[in-house]
Amino acid sequence: MIISTKDLIKTYKGLVPTKALRGVSLGIEKGEFVGLMGPSGSGKSTLLHQLGLLDSPSSGQIIIDGKEVTNYSEKEKSDFRLNKLGYVFQFQALLPELTAIESVYLPLMLTGANKKVYMEKATKILEEVGLGERLHHLPKELSGGEQQRVSIARALVNDPDVLFADEPTSSLDTESSLSVLKLFRRLNNDLGQTILMVTHELSHKEHVDRVIWLEDGKLKKK
Amino acid sequence: MNAKASLFLVIRTIKRGNKSSLIMILFMMILIFINLIFLSSVFAGIIEGANKEAINNQYGNILIEPEIDEKYITNVKVIKKLDNFSDEISVSPRYVNNTVISFDQKKDGKNVESGKWPVESIDVYKEKSVTDIYKNMSVGEYLSPGDEGKIIIGREIAGGEGSNSTNNLGNIKVGQEVDVNFNNGPKRTYTVKGIFDTKNSSADSTAFVNQKEIESFLGVHGLASKILVRINDEVDEATYIERLRDLGFKNEKLSPWYELMGMTEDANKSFAMVSAILSVIGTIVAGITVFIIIFVSVVNKRKQIGILKAIGMKKSTIILSFIFQALFYAVIGIILGTLLSLLIIEPYFQAYPMDFPMGWVSLKISTQILLISSVSLIIASFIGGFVPAFKAAKETILEAIFG
Repeated sequence: MIISTKDLIKTYKGLVPTKALRGVSLGIEKGEFVGLMGPSGSGKSTLLHQLGLLDSPSSGQIIIDGKEVTNYSEKEKSDFRLNKLGYVFQFQALLPELTAIESVYLPLMLTGANKKVYMEKATKILEEVGLGERLHHLPKELSGGEQQRVSIARALVNDPDVLFADEPTSSLDTESSLSVLKLFRRLNNDLGQTILMVTHELSHKEHVDRVIWLEDGKLKKK
Repeated sequence: MNAKASLFLVIRTIKRGNKSSLIMILFMMILIFINLIFLSSVFAGIIEGANKEAINNQYGNILIEPEIDEKYITNVKVIKKLDNFSDEISVSPRYVNNTVISFDQKKDGKNVESGKWPVESIDVYKEKSVTDIYKNMSVGEYLSPGDEGKIIIGREIAGGEGSNSTNNLGNIKVGQEVDVNFNNGPKRTYTVKGIFDTKNSSADSTAFVNQKEIESFLGVHGLASKILVRINDEVDEATYIERLRDLGFKNEKLSPWYELMGMTEDANKSFAMVSAILSVIGTIVAGITVFIIIFVSVVNKRKQIGILKAIGMKKSTIILSFIFQALFYAVIGIILGTLLSLLIIEPYFQAYPMDFPMGWVSLKISTQILLISSVSLIIASFIGGFVPAFKAAKETILEAIFG
C-alpha cells in the first residue's frame, strides 16, 4: 500500500466550522491510477491536499510509503513533497519567467543535482510528454494543453512515489483534456506511476483503474 | 536553503520580467543612492571649502606666534634659516599692527567712515608663495615689492557689494585715500591699490602694506609678529611642527591651522551631525522604498510562492530569492549612482562651484561617504527585502495558491 489513511477528519475553523472530511479511511496500491470523484463540495480537493501534505488534517492518520507523515514538521513536509510527491494543479501553475525546461529542472535543482544531470533528465521527460520541440518556450508561448504537460513533466521529474492531480483538465478544451488523460494512462502503464486524480467529469471513469467516490466528506460505494 | 535556486529564480525574474518596471526601479535606486551621498558630499565640500580658505588665505598650514607676553618673534637667526630650511615649505613673516582706518570721502571732516582693523605688513614675494590673497583681488591690483604709501584692503573693510560687515569704509574705491592711525601713535595716509575678496571674513577684515615700509616706520628689522608656514607636499603639519622646533623655535607658539579654526571647527562638527541625521533619514526612506518594491513583487507572486512551496521549495530559499532581488536593485543603484556622481555630478560642481558665505563649495565625494552610503543602502535593502518576503513565505500553501 503506497497510501493509506485512517479516520481522516478535516474541519475548517470559522464562525461556523465546516466539516470537509468526516473520517475518511482508504488505501491506494502502488502503481494504481485512481480517480477521486464526487459532487462539488464533497471534499475531493480537501482530501487530495491532506494526502499531498499541502495541508494538515484536524485528526486521523496518513501513511505514505510506510511512513506516518501526519505530524511531520514544516521542513520535513517540504523535503517529503520535493522527493516523494508530484503535483499537477487545475490551473497551469507555471512561473511566467521560466521556460519549459527551466520549470521542469527546478525541482531537481532543489535536490542539489548538478547541471548535466538536471538538463538531461528534464529534456528526456519533456520529450516523453511530447514537448521535445518546445524546451525553451516560455508559458506565454505555449497552449493551455502544452502548459499542463509541462506541469506534469515538472511533477514527474523527481520520480515521485505518487502523482497528485487536482482536476488537471478543468481549464482545457476537450482535445487537450483527452491528450492529458492519455498521457496519465501511458505514464501509469509504462512507468507504473501511481496517480491520484481529482475529477468531476464522470466520463473520466474509463481512463482510471478505480474510482474513490466522496460525498459530504465521506467515502461512498458507487 | 538553496542559494543556487534562489539566484536562478531572481536572475530569470529580472531577465524576463517587465523591462519598464525594472528601469524605473533601477532609476529610483540610483536617485536614492545619490540622495544618500549628495548632502553628505555638500557638507563635506563646505567643510573642505572652509578649511581650504583658512589655509589659503588666513593661517597657512602652520602659524608661528611669539612667546607669551612677547610682541615679536625675536629669534632673528632662526627666522633667517627658514628661507633655506626646506623646498617643501614656504614662509611669510608678517608684522601685525592694530590700527584705526578712516576714510573721509569729501575731505571735509564730516561723514568720516572709520573702524578698527589690523594692518599687516608683508614681503610680497614670500606672501605670494604662502597665501592666495593675490589671486582674489576683486578690484585694483595686489601690492608690488616697491610700493610705498599703497595699501590693499579686504572686502569687509572696504564695504559695498559682497561685504557682510556693518562697520566699513562705506564702499571705498581703488585710488581713494585712507588715514591709518597705528596703535603706537603715528598716523599715515595710504592710497587704496586694491580690494580683495577671499570669502574668509577674517582675512577680508585685514589690510596689507609693504613690509619694508613698516620696518623703517617701526624701526625694526628681520622680526615678525607672526609667520605663516605653507607646506607644499603631503607631509602632515605635526611632522613639520617637530622639525620647526628642532630648527630653533623652542618657545614660540606653533599651531596647525585646524587648531586655530575655533568657531569654524564647531560649525564643521554641526555640519557633520546634520549630515549624519540626514543620512539616517535617507537610509530609512531607502529601506521603506525597497520594502514597497519587494512587497508589490511578493503580492504579485503570491500564487507562484504557493506553487514553489508545493513543489518542495523551502521558505528560506524563497526568502533568499527576494533578498537577492532587493540586493540586486541596491548594487546596481550603487554602481550606477557612483559612476553618475563621480563622472558627471562631481565634475559639474567642481567646474561650477556653489557660492557659500564661507567659500566656493563643490561636492567632495569621498571614499568614506561612498562606502558608508553603500553599506547603508545594502543593509536597508536587505531588511526591506526580507520583511515582506518573510511574511509571504509564512503563508500556508493553500492560502497562497487559492487566496
